[in-house]
Parts: sequence; C-alpha cells; structure tokens
Amino acid sequence: MKRLLQTILTAASSRALPPLVVGFFFLVYIGIAFFTNETLITLMAFTRNSLILDGILALIPLNSALRILQETCWHLKKRRVLNGKTSDVKPALFDESVELTAAPSFSDLQSRLGAVGYKTRRSENAVTAWRGASIFPARILFLAGTFCLFTGILISITTRTSHRQMVVEGEPLPVPEGIGGRVERITLANSSGPILRKTLTMEVAPSSSGYGKRVFGIYPPSMYGGSFVYPRYLGLALLLRFSAPDLPAGIEKHSILNCYPPGKEASEEIPGSPYRIVFSIPEPVAGSDRYISYMTGNVTLKFKLLKGKEVLFSGSAPGGGEFVRDGYRLAFPDIRRLVVTDYIGDYGVFFIWVAALLFIGAGCIWLPVRLFFPRREMLFRYDQGVATACSLAEGGARTHAGVFHEMLDMIDARRGEASVV
Amino acid sequence: MVAVKLIPQLISWFGIVLVLLRGFPGLRSVVTTTSISGFAIGVSGAFFMFRSLPAAIPFGAVKSALGVSFLLLWGISVAAIYRSTGRRVTISSGARLVNTSIGAGTGAVLAGIITGLVCACRISGTDGNFPKLLFLVLIAGILTVIALAVEKRLPASLTVSPSGMLTAVVALLLFCSSSSLRLDLFSPLSMKVMKGVHDFVHQFMESVLIPDHLFVRSVVWGYIGLLFGKEVGFWGGMIIWFTPAILIALAINFQRLPSVAHIRQGARRRKLLADAIRNKRMLLITPLFSLAIFAAAAYQSSFPSVEYWDPKPEPVTASPSGEIFIPKKGEINLEDGKLHKYLFKQEGKEARFFVLLSPAGQLTVDLDACAICKPDGYGQAEGSVICYYCKTLIPLDTVGKPGGCNPVPIQFTEKADGVAIDGMTLLNAWSSTVRATARVKEGGK
Amino acid sequence: MATTIIETGGLTRSYGDICALKPLDLQVPEGEWLSVMGHSGSGKSTLMNLVGGLDRPSAGSLMVGGEDLLALSEDGLARFRREFVGIIFQQHHLVPYLTAVENVMLAQYFHSVPDEAEARSALERVGLGHRLKNRPGELSGGEQQRVCIARAIINSPKLLLGDEPTGNLDHKSTVMIMELLKELRAEERFTVVMVTHNQEVAAWGDRTIYLDDGVLVREERTNS
Repeated sequence: MKRLLQTILTAASSRALPPLVVGFFFLVYIGIAFFTNETLITLMAFTRNSLILDGILALIPLNSALRILQETCWHLKKRRVLNGKTSDVKPALFDESVELTAAPSFSDLQSRLGAVGYKTRRSENAVTAWRGASIFPARILFLAGTFCLFTGILISITTRTSHRQMVVEGEPLPVPEGIGGRVERITLANSSGPILRKTLTMEVAPSSSGYGKRVFGIYPPSMYGGSFVYPRYLGLALLLRFSAPDLPAGIEKHSILNCYPPGKEASEEIPGSPYRIVFSIPEPVAGSDRYISYMTGNVTLKFKLLKGKEVLFSGSAPGGGEFVRDGYRLAFPDIRRLVVTDYIGDYGVFFIWVAALLFIGAGCIWLPVRLFFPRREMLFRYDQGVATACSLAEGGARTHAGVFHEMLDMIDARRGEASVV
Repeated sequence: MVAVKLIPQLISWFGIVLVLLRGFPGLRSVVTTTSISGFAIGVSGAFFMFRSLPAAIPFGAVKSALGVSFLLLWGISVAAIYRSTGRRVTISSGARLVNTSIGAGTGAVLAGIITGLVCACRISGTDGNFPKLLFLVLIAGILTVIALAVEKRLPASLTVSPSGMLTAVVALLLFCSSSSLRLDLFSPLSMKVMKGVHDFVHQFMESVLIPDHLFVRSVVWGYIGLLFGKEVGFWGGMIIWFTPAILIALAINFQRLPSVAHIRQGARRRKLLADAIRNKRMLLITPLFSLAIFAAAAYQSSFPSVEYWDPKPEPVTASPSGEIFIPKKGEINLEDGKLHKYLFKQEGKEARFFVLLSPAGQLTVDLDACAICKPDGYGQAEGSVICYYCKTLIPLDTVGKPGGCNPVPIQFTEKADGVAIDGMTLLNAWSSTVRATARVKEGGK
Repeated sequence: MATTIIETGGLTRSYGDICALKPLDLQVPEGEWLSVMGHSGSGKSTLMNLVGGLDRPSAGSLMVGGEDLLALSEDGLARFRREFVGIIFQQHHLVPYLTAVENVMLAQYFHSVPDEAEARSALERVGLGHRLKNRPGELSGGEQQRVCIARAIINSPKLLLGDEPTGNLDHKSTVMIMELLKELRAEERFTVVMVTHNQEVAAWGDRTIYLDDGVLVREERTNS
C-alpha cells in the first residue's frame, strides 16, 4: 500500500505530468476538430460536463503544488548540506559529485576560490563556495503561477455563469438577485492611460437590497452581488413614439439600440404593423471623437423607415425632438445612455490574474539572474579519510566546471598528505 | 513517366532509407529488408484500397497516418526536451528499444508502408494500375540498394540519434506527401491554427474580462489584432510545423556533457568533453537538415504546381431596389459549368461572390469565401473547387451547401434569363462571414 | 623494458633533387630524452618535423606512439599533432595581442574546450603565476619560452619536440628552461626529442644522435 502511494506520489509530482496532460487535451482538441468547427468551445463544454476531464485537468495544479513542496524540500536540504549542518551529502542534489582519497587543504581551497571570485564559508570539516543568486524563488513563483493558472481555468470552466443585462442611466441596476441601486450616471470620457483610450464609469446609488453606493469602471471589473460587472458595448435606450397614416393611434415603445460605433445599424420592428425603423448614429464632424454623442448625451438619431422591404423615407431627429412627413410622425422624447453589461460569476478570474502577476514576477527574477548572476556552488567535505566534492551550476557553465576541476586537482595533488583543517 | 511524376516521393524514399540505415547502426540487413517490404505492402495496400473503396477513404487513411506520425514526432520532441533539461545523462527506454532488431524492423516497416502508400496515392488517385505500381516497387528497391551503398561511404562520425532519425523520416514523409493536394497537411494545419488561435484569444479575453476594442487604445488593439489577423494561420502553422525539429535540435544541444570530474588530467577531461561536443554537433546535423525539408514541404504546400480556373471578378451593381441581376447568357455563360466570379461594391462596402452550375444542373450563388479561412477565394479544378487558403478540395456536388470550408451559399432567385441577388443580403453575409481583419480588396489569390 | 615510442625504417625526405634526410633507422624508447645535433642543413629539423607529423616522408616507415603516420589522413595527422605532440620552437610564435594565459588557452581551443583554470595552473607550473595577464611583449625571452612550454604541455602530450628552444636565450635562461623541462618530464613522463646545435643543451638528454648531410653519423649516451 505504501509502495503504491509512493508510486502515485512520484507520478503526480513528475515534471513530465503537465506536458502529458496538455498533450492529452491537445489530442482531444484534434479529435473534436474532425467533427466541428467550434472546437475550443466544444472542448470547454466537454470538460465542464465531464468529471474525468476535470480530474485530468486538476492534475496540473496538483502537480505544481507537489513540485513546490518537493523543490522547496530539496532546496532546504541542499542549504543544510552547504551550511555544513549535515554530512548526508546526496549526489542527486548536485550536478557532479566526486570522492577522492586525499586530504584537502581547506585554507588553500578557500584562498584559491576567493581569488577567482567565489565567496566561501568554512566549517569544521567542510568548505562551501558560491557565487551569484539562485533562481529558486523564480522557479517557485513559476510553479505557483502554473498552480493558479490551471486552478483558475478549472474553476472558470466548471463554475462560470454569465448573464447579459442592459445598464440604463436612471434605471435600477439589473442584478441576478434582488434589486440593484439606481444607475445615477454613466460617464464615458477620454483617458490618457497607456492601454485604455476611454474610461467608462457607472455610478450606482445605494439599493434597498442592502448594496451601498458603488462606482464601476472598466478594468479590472468590480464585483456586485458576487458577479463581475463586465461592460461590453455601448448603446442607447430610446423611448419611441410612432404614428402613421394607417396607424393613426400610434404606438409608444421602449427600445434598446445597440448602435455604437456610429454607422452601426440597429433595427426596430413596430409590433403589429409592417413598419420597421433602422436607426444609426451619424458619423460626427471630422476631428470630433466618434463617441462624442454618447459622451455629451446630445444624440441625434438617423433613421430609415421601411414598410416591408420598401424604404419610405429617411431622416434624423435629436433626442427630445420629432420628425413629421406625409402623415408619419416619429418622436424620440427620451434617449438615455446604456451599457450592454455581462454579469460574470467566476472566481477563477482571480486565480488567472494572480497567475499573470506570478509569471511576470518569475520572469523578472529569472532573466537577470540567469544572465548576470547565475548561481554556482561547490562543496568540499572531508570525512573519515575521504574528500567529497560536489558542484552545481544553474544553467550549466564551463568556467565553473573548470574551477571545480582545478580544485579537485589541488586536492588530488595532496594524496598521501595529512589533512589540513 | 511514373518515375518523373514521383520524383519528390522517390527522393524522399531514398532519404528515408539512408537515415534509417544510419539510425540503426549494425542492423543494415534488417532495415533494408523490412523497409522495402513495408514499401511493397504500402503500395499493394493502396492498390486494393483504391480498387475496392471510394478514393476519399484511402486518401483519408493515408492523411491520418501522416498526421499521426507528425503527432508522434511532436510527442517525442517534447519528451526529448524534457529529458535533456534533467540533471542526469541517461538513455531513454525508447532509445534502447529502437536499437533492437524488433524496434528497427518495426520502424522501418512502418516508414516503408507510409511511403509506399503516399507514392501509390500519387498514381492510383488518378490513373493507377498494377504494372505501374509494380514498376514503382522495383524503382524503390533499386533506390534502397543505392542508399545502402551511399550510406557505407558516409563518414562514420555522422551519427543519428533516434529522435533525429524520427524527425528526418517524418520530414521526408511530409515532403513527399506535400506535393499531393489531397495528402498535404500543412495547409489544413494553417487553417485549423487560424481558427484555433482566434478562438483561444477570444476565449482568453472573455475569460479574464478584458474590455472590448472600443475602450482600448488602437495601438494596443493593433497588437492584439495581430492574433486575429489573416497571417496568424500561416505563421502559427509554421511554428507548429517546425517546432518538433527545433525542439529535438535543442534537446540535443541542451544534453548535459558527461561528468569528467573524476579524471585528474586536464587534457583528458577536455578531450572527453570535446568528443562529446563533437558528437553532439554531428547529431545536430539530421534535425537541422530536417528543418530544411520541412521548409521545402511547407513551400510545396503553399505554392502547389497545379493551375486552377480562376477568372477575375467582374464588377456588378445593384438596381435602386437593391437587386443584383446577372444574366444567364451574354458575355458570360453562367451555365457552362465554370466558376464565374463577381465583385459588388456599395457605399464603401464590398463583397466577392461566384455563380456556378453544379453537375446536377442547379445554379448556385456563393461567397468567394468560407466561414473558416481568410478569404483567399476559390479556384476550380476537375470535379472540385479548392479553397486557396487551406487547399481543401470541395467536390462540385457539395458547392452550395453550407458548413466547413464550403463557400458560403447566398440566397438568390433564379429567373428564366438570369439570377437575382439582394445586394444588402450579400454585403451582410460577406461582412458577417469574413472576419473583420480580412481584406476584401485582395480580389482573391 | 620500455616500449618504443618512435620507430623509423629507411625514413627519407627529399625536396626535389635534394635529399634532406637519407634513409634513417631510429628507435626511441618511451620516456627517453633524445638530443639531435648537427650543423645547419644536416636534416635535424626535417627529422623533427617528420616525427611531429608536421611533414610527410618521401619514403620509409614511421611509427610514432603506435600510429603509422604514413597511413594517416590529413585529419588524422592533425588529430595526432593535437593529442600526441607538444612542440617548442626557437621562435616562440606567441600571439602578441593575447595575454600569457590566453596564448596557452589557444592550444586548448584545438579541443574546442578552453579551460582558463587549467591554463593558469600550467603557467604556474612553469613559474609564471605572476605574469598571467601580461602580453608577450611584456615578458623576457626566457619567460616567453616558458609560456611556450606551458602551451606545449597543456594537452598532456606523450611526445615533446623542441627545435632549438634555447637558441635565443642567454646561458642563465637556458639552464632555467632545461631544468624546467627536466622537472616536467619527471612529472608528466613524456618523451623529449630536442634539436639543437648546442653541445651543452644536448647534454641534458639521455642520448644524443648526430646528423650530417641527412645521415645519422654517430650516437652517444650522455650521463646528465
């Protein structure tokens, strides 16, 4: 039983496991690609609905966690060996390990290693030499990043919920449960940031359901009632009044127009009639911001009135205005800003964000350390007539190996001489 | 004539035998016998398949075998790079296996079968018959004997690692299949990559709630847009195409040198290291050579030496009511069974489409683009149209049906003297089908 | 009984009509220090070049360290020189813009595996531990020749060839170099073939052969 557990643990913490799992999913992806063009979405749906696939994907974060533990243990063990706190020198902790039946002169080794730029530490029967910094922290950050990334993906795939809602200025904020506060103001403004060119803020008053006053921006999206508020597109909420010669009573209806950017057409059927109105926002005058109408709230709507397939006429009218021709009347008494918003219930996003930060951190440590201060270590011990010499170079280094060999030659040259400790 | 048509395939076969002989030192007779036997099995297998099954099945089977060998190469290359970054220099169990007679025999027979199948497909797909196939096996046998003689003259220091051997064999297999449109892997791979990258980036942005382009600076969006761009399929395909060979070359390069710390004479240490380095360099030759072969295969796939019927799109306009009318007779005869391309422009928007009479006698109007690839358009070959981007062959019978890489069908009204198409429908179909980054102005290929 | 490291049979080298070395039969046991004497044009440098694989004989047989040099290809001969022979010339042939340690490392580059620590150690062995970073122009004649010796021994040759290595040195420096070579030979156990026309230098060897007009005319044991 113990052996079985040990085997499972070794397999679960193997470096080969993540590529195997990724390779497996890649093969499934290829298999799905034979049958559908929506390969990725299908694969995600399969994973969402299959405990086996979830389990296989979960092997990656499990592996990362085990590797963090294992590599930390190795690192601490190696430190103990290098600090001379233990005589149990395991060759697996080093690149090279040699035993010589000669007694080293520790002071000679120290002075020689010091002359070629190594820091040294001497204990009773050992000399440790090192230079540069270890990439161990970067490695741990990388593994932690992998853990977070795949945990995030797993959570996201299995638990994500999404609801699309229209956030309209002056209306209560639509929330999955309860009643949201009133949306007091939606503001679109230019931004001088390096990534975003616009800022969008939605100010929401406290609600009767116990939500306090909130202001939502674009990125990172804020949470409201357990979901991320993820603004997607801009639009207009229109109160439309329409009457026609054959529809003298007219109708009044609220319309949602997904009509930004300018030029994009949004069509609105007049229920119970052959009429259809196609709305769009005219392109602003040259030099103006394309979203100037949304930013200022001074919206003029262009429209085309169709009866069946026939275009009757087209025209435009500002918010609060009306258009009358040949017995037809179109009035836009109220136009409000609207944001098409997704409510995303997904805690995996946090993990993915953290993973991104950890990967950036790992990269920022790894690159300069590897390039400019790579870690090189040597250990020389003398126990019971045998000198043990171990060497390790992160990333491999010929110069370091040369120095190590020189030290070994120095020790070997003292064959037959007494130990100088 | 057969030999001329099969020059790339026969060159590949010669290369494969050469690499196998060098890759399995000491097993020359096993490799020679099994490889040529495999070739003969492949050729006869293809002969019987083409006789008894519709052509699509043997082509599909051979293409799948090629795909599996490429995937195997991917798997081996990833394993190789992982092993090389480990701390100890060890011989993998896989490497031990391939150096046995069974390993060598299996490898050689499989390589022989696939090459035989590919060669036979080249003939049988159109006009294959038994004497031609027999002649093919004979030529392959002669080339095997020549390879045997050439291999003996190669320098002994030119060694090949098992992973290097697999790289070269797969590269040569893909090279010899890339000249056959129905076996080519690179173009479909590019198509899948474009779709895959697009889906992945889109999904990733949705997953981490990245705002839409409306809120993002155009420069930043420009960089993101590269991933949605039309060339991403080609470059992504190139990356997937070349990566295994590069990984194997890197794995050889990263291989740790043997520990020489136990040797107390500097010159001996250096000599051992120098030998190991020299050996590594020799091992690198095969994967690097394979890279060139992969490049040749990609080139052959991207620029096939086949000419297609591909007329220049004729400009058309719509009536005030928005209807485009194309007469059946006139300068162009719509019912001649050929592809006729048109370009419609209105208010700064454009759409390219074609009209074609199917073999069943039905006229069909389709966009000169599919829902998957970038709109490089279609050309017409015998019995099919080909998507220029992914090189998928669409039988003429299925043109007019939606799905996959088929041209997107457009609703139209067939009148006695011509076809009528709604201009708005056409423009909407084009803009919703063709991705925002694709450029209509290219006018196809 | 020591094995023979150099064995020639009827070894001849002609340049057109001129016969620089007439058929020569010679055996050199492993570990011996052989001095080759003769006046200018006697064929002693020709013999050294042939033994060191720098030149090919016109006729005869030439076995060095068990290798038939006549049978070796150009690559094989280069490998033989790289791994088997160390050579010290009268003209030191050091690269003027490289430091002492870099000059020694040049010889390591033949293996594509330079090792600075080892080059440094070799210079320390020849007493130049304090002159590692000096260029040849900053070294005396004797020091330059010691750099040459460090360079010659860096690849642990089985055979060390000297072509008038002390020809440009004063008496004191000559003695120092000879003592150094003697010490190194005791440690490394290589065979020495030293061409000289200086009787005093020849006397450092175990045996001296005399060449005249390409012919071995005399040989004598020395008791240095």
